[in-house]
Amino acid sequence: MNLRRLWTVARLELVQRRRTSRWPIVLGAWFVVIALVTFASWRAVRGESFASGPSLYDVTTFFVLMLGMLVVPSLTATTVNGDREHGVLATLQTTLVTSWELVLGKLLASWVVSMVFLATALPFLAWAWVAGGLSVGRILLSLLVLVVVLAVVAAVGLMFSTLTARPVASAVLTYLTLAALVFGSLIGFLLTAVLLTDTVTVRVNGVPESYWASEIEPPVTSEPGAEGFVLQPTQADCEEFTRTEQASRTDRIWPLLAVNPFVVVADAAPSRLAETGTFTGGFTPMRWISDGSRDAKAGPGEGGVRDECSFLPEAGSPVGDSATTDAAFEAREKAQDAADRARRDANPVWPWGLAFLGALGLTSVVVAERRVRTPVRRLPSGTRIA
Amino acid sequence: MSSDGAGATGGIVVTGVHRAFGDVVAVDDISLVARPGEVTALIGPNGAGKTTLLLMLATLLVPDRGTITIDGFSPVDEPREVRRRIGWMPDGFGTWDALTVREVLHTIGAAYDLPAAEARARTDEVLEQVHLADLADRRARVLSRGQKQRLGMARALLHRPTTLLLDEPASGLDPRSRIELRDLVRGLAAAGTTVLVSSHILTELQEMADRAVIVSRGRTVETQAVDGAAPVSRTWRISALDRARLVAFLADEGLPWRDAGTAVDVELAGDTDAAELLVRLGGSGARVTAYAPLHGEMEAAYLAATEDRQ
Repeated sequence: MNLRRLWTVARLELVQRRRTSRWPIVLGAWFVVIALVTFASWRAVRGESFASGPSLYDVTTFFVLMLGMLVVPSLTATTVNGDREHGVLATLQTTLVTSWELVLGKLLASWVVSMVFLATALPFLAWAWVAGGLSVGRILLSLLVLVVVLAVVAAVGLMFSTLTARPVASAVLTYLTLAALVFGSLIGFLLTAVLLTDTVTVRVNGVPESYWASEIEPPVTSEPGAEGFVLQPTQADCEEFTRTEQASRTDRIWPLLAVNPFVVVADAAPSRLAETGTFTGGFTPMRWISDGSRDAKAGPGEGGVRDECSFLPEAGSPVGDSATTDAAFEAREKAQDAADRARRDANPVWPWGLAFLGALGLTSVVVAERRVRTPVRRLPSGTRIA
Repeated sequence: MSSDGAGATGGIVVTGVHRAFGDVVAVDDISLVARPGEVTALIGPNGAGKTTLLLMLATLLVPDRGTITIDGFSPVDEPREVRRRIGWMPDGFGTWDALTVREVLHTIGAAYDLPAAEARARTDEVLEQVHLADLADRRARVLSRGQKQRLGMARALLHRPTTLLLDEPASGLDPRSRIELRDLVRGLAAAGTTVLVSSHILTELQEMADRAVIVSRGRTVETQAVDGAAPVSRTWRISALDRARLVAFLADEGLPWRDAGTAVDVELAGDTDAAELLVRLGGSGARVTAYAPLHGEMEAAYLAATEDRQ
């Protein structure tokens, strides 16, 4: 591996792209579209009682990811078989440039281009940061993950361009692969979530069946009270018991969500519901996706003892005292939120997803390198050497 | 290997090479030797396997059977050593259209590990050699076919290869460029370069090559020197003022002749025979006005070797 030769390949690619495409127009269009989307989401959420930063950030980041996944394959998916068609691949293969330098140089070139696109989107991410509710660490982490994901997309496109003879075929295959990762994985998850249900046992702290069974026959001798025979269990009636339910075993199929690039980017650094301080609500798709996929990974069985008791009135309190009930309810909600947060923090999805995408990218590069290695022994039908 | 000199292991040595693509046998059994300091012509009909052989020499394709060495190195086992030494000019040369001629050569220089300054100097040198200096800052896209061929030649020469593999180098060249190409190739051979040229234009190879390897249907049919040392049977066309006397003389000599309008064609075994016949003709009183071979030596050999073709 020689960095100068690698850079020679990358620079050759970049110079050709710069001269043969209308990059200023493409970049300008990209800038305008992101500006419009960011402005629209800012209009939608501004003026409410919470920080609008997360909404702006989520929308912009997802939009950059989406456009990146559309643009990057068009850079790499035609690079090797396009060169073969023009009869210029062999020109480099017969020099001292090795197959690794060729593949990594081309990958570097497309990665540099995707960085330019990302840099164009940076002002809007900065705007989101100024709007508040975001930490710099979070922005950096999600940008880093975004960069890696775009590099993986580039690698997949590069691999297909070495596998097929025609640039159109490799572009289509790359887009199909990305569609499978983005939409196919989600559809697969939803379908199997419906199909793959199981009987699970949950531990509950609440009013047991036996309470209702014993009270089913109201005592006939006593006078009806002022409220009639309304059964009102109190906290004194609670006990711990187990209950069996039908539940979807999402803890077995969560990897289907983890492979989705949008889930990986969203889950790497979502805006958490702030424990204190400003409420960062509003339209936050990244947080929703993150929470949803982490809950799916946790599955139905986990979460300790389910609390169905603390919102009941305390023993001996007057029936219908809404003040105590509301307070209890609020306390229970808070405890539930804390439990959710703890469970979600314990079940991150993105490291697995990023590891998968990384493995996919590495495999793609290895396959691509094998396919441009010369001299070739077996020539696949339909492909040219020079 | 270099210790025993270029004579023993230098140049191109191809032994019994076979290569098939699926069911199609492109190269069946080709053997040839191209020596340093000589121009070896590779000639044969379309589809004879010339380009496939050159791809194997250029370290792009592995032969199914047989061995190849270039300056003693195998393109299969030591492709990098071979790549350092060869300059390959493919047929139907593609180039990076968006780059200027100069940038193309600078890129190639970097790909061959030439230091930037040397790559620039070498670029100017080879552009001068192929007469493209005045087009150096034009985009490769706007070059004509012949100019692109010359750029291909410049590209092949840039890293001072010991071995040149030229696939149809003259196609698309105007007459002046062909002569310049011939002189360039002869000059390089004189400086010790091994040159293997494949071409269809036999008259031109005749002037350029020292040796011809004729291939047909993927096999080496014949290897022969083009210096006239080995006798080549070919047709000579003779015109004389007194045609009747000429015909009578040929009948006396026992030579079969064919009618060719005002002239007659005679099959002769070699240049020596032709020279001796001319001497005797001078005394015959037929008054010869033209006495010349109908084909070049190479053309004659080629036609003889590929006679069985449909």
